[in-house]
Amino acid sequence: MGTAKARAPPRTPATPTQPVETSRYLPDKTFIIDNGAYMIKAGYASHAPASDESISGCSSIPNALVKTRDNKIVIGAQLATVNDWNEAMFRRPVEKGYVVNWEAEREIWDQSFFDGKVTARNQDYHIADPEDTTLVLTEAPNALPILQRHADEMVMEEWGFGGYARCLGPTLNAWNEIHSLFGDPVSNTSDASILPADCLLVVDSGYSHTTVTPVYKGQALQRGIRRLDLGGKHLTNYLKEIVSMRQYNMVDETYIMNEVKEAVCYVSNDFSGDLEKAWKSGQKRQSGPEEGTVLDYVLPDPNANKKGFIRPHDPLLHAKKKKGAVSGLSAEVLSEDVLVLGNERFAVPELLFTPGDIGMKSAGVPDMILQSLSVLPTGLHSAFLANVLVVGGNALIPGFMERLETELRQIASAECVVRVRRAKDPVHSTWLGGTRLAANREELSKVSITRQEYQEYGSGWAVRRFAGLV
Amino acid sequence: MFRVELISDTSTATPGWSYAPTRGFDPTQAMAPTLGRKRGIRDAGKGGDISSRQANAIARHLAELDRENQRDISIPVPVRQAREAGARGTRAKTTSNVRRILQSQKTFRNHLDDEEAAISSGSGGVGGMQGAGGANVIAAKGNKAAAMRRSATPASAAGVKRPSAAMGMTGSSTPARETTDAETDVDDEARKPKLIKSEYDNDPLLRSYAPPVPSDRIMQRLLAEPPLSYNASRAKPQASGRPGRHFCCS
Repeated sequence: MGTAKARAPPRTPATPTQPVETSRYLPDKTFIIDNGAYMIKAGYASHAPASDESISGCSSIPNALVKTRDNKIVIGAQLATVNDWNEAMFRRPVEKGYVVNWEAEREIWDQSFFDGKVTARNQDYHIADPEDTTLVLTEAPNALPILQRHADEMVMEEWGFGGYARCLGPTLNAWNEIHSLFGDPVSNTSDASILPADCLLVVDSGYSHTTVTPVYKGQALQRGIRRLDLGGKHLTNYLKEIVSMRQYNMVDETYIMNEVKEAVCYVSNDFSGDLEKAWKSGQKRQSGPEEGTVLDYVLPDPNANKKGFIRPHDPLLHAKKKKGAVSGLSAEVLSEDVLVLGNERFAVPELLFTPGDIGMKSAGVPDMILQSLSVLPTGLHSAFLANVLVVGGNALIPGFMERLETELRQIASAECVVRVRRAKDPVHSTWLGGTRLAANREELSKVSITRQEYQEYGSGWAVRRFAGLV
Repeated sequence: MFRVELISDTSTATPGWSYAPTRGFDPTQAMAPTLGRKRGIRDAGKGGDISSRQANAIARHLAELDRENQRDISIPVPVRQAREAGARGTRAKTTSNVRRILQSQKTFRNHLDDEEAAISSGSGGVGGMQGAGGANVIAAKGNKAAAMRRSATPASAAGVKRPSAAMGMTGSSTPARETTDAETDVDDEARKPKLIKSEYDNDPLLRSYAPPVPSDRIMQRLLAEPPLSYNASRAKPQASGRPGRHFCCS
């Protein structure tokens, strides 16, 4: 079951937790892991009421095993030491947003959080005594029960955390301070306890998929959760494919193409207009460097220790290069490899809005939001449409927010106010929400289980407990 | 002289030959031996406007885009002696659950197939874990149907004008009793449909009401619902049914 929220308030009938409630021990120290497919966001929740600055307590660790060109295997945080990303191969324990391969995930977690001694460098994310730590772990919505069970068993039996809460990632965002983001008056700031927002529609566009989750008072409305199986990975692969077909063969250069994507891609707010522009500037081969949609990306050269970078398109570069040294170009320029990026820049992220472009029979993100609302009572529509929060790495693609807001405005009911906002830090927003949940001890203990309870009732019970069934 | 004979179309007549009715030259019949069977298969799974060959190509392309690496490659987890000796020492012994999970080489697709099979068989992986599988499956199906019904209605007409109709529609997924209960709830006044301010307020035909906020009871009911299955939560095709765009290759 996809939810991790205990439906605590409405359910008073005798549950196994009731008898032990008085002697429950939930460790004070809370560690939060937002286990993304691309990047793990992890760190301790500070005890001081969480402010937006507490993001500094969060470390990002690549969630991958990498085999480099010279057959070295590099894991997690060590990826920062890799200089040569050519032909790097990836193994990711997370598939479709869920941890599937725990063999690899354990290695990454062990190396990141458990190995060695506490040092100044790793003190922010080193877990010295799991039995004295409460773990808040995020999961993607609509997870398979068997995978949930695996996660619970690994957390409680392999590492033995003292307390544990498995939460639906998007719901944690509701704990963040979002009123100021939407320009609403900030209410009861002096109030000590942190409470989640009433109605929030979270669009989470990450590495492996894009989900829409209506969150009501910190809990997901399960029937409204919708998923589009497109994320950053697909965009990178699509760009890789187009470029390989039109220019150089880049099929083995996932890492480099990801950098290219992050550097050049944008979401068009006038698709056919931009298509026309890109085509026209491709036609004008005579003119010199100019402004337009076409860009050159100079590929990295690990031998010369040079990183990739963008520069304005020079239509004559190719001709000049042919002439060689005669043209007066420096040897440096002559040796570099350049990708010319025209309509690729916006045709690739366009997939999120019109998946039909690659034949996918699925609606784009704006329509998916309406599909999500269509199964909820109409009385809630206006509240959700006025509070659409976008998180996840793809929110950083320029133009994404504008396009989403425009299209949603067009298809949503005219009487409703539509407000679409990007979280201040869309990548760490979920993690930050986790720290704020942790600051509210009462709520946290409602959604957590303790080590003792797990040992008493087992993993089947844990799955049911997190699904809110007991 | 001619003789009239009743043709029997059973193949048991005489081995080797039989009468066959002829209706002149039929091109499809004539082509049949060469490409009939294959084409039949190819068009069998035809879902609407594209042939199954196209559908396969799209599915293959999507699977391609879903890959981590272009080539299949195995990246083994480095063997660590330290784990067994030093670091392990402080921890409890590896349990059988953990060992089983670590040794599992199943992919997400394998797990999903298991899950789907369990759901369709009714006993359900969901159910196995939940102890109330049947109900969950039914709920998921019901939601799906509700989603289909509702998405066929354009959003602008989705009951903003007619609060009573809107209540009826929510009632389709929650029991009708729920709706009546809601109306007798305490803060009745706050939940009355509010008039949306517009220049047509005086015209009984054009004035519009904001739909009422659902009662706490309905919200609790909604929050307590089990999650949809992985496939049921997938985004549906666009309601407008606009045909897809096509680009010429450059």
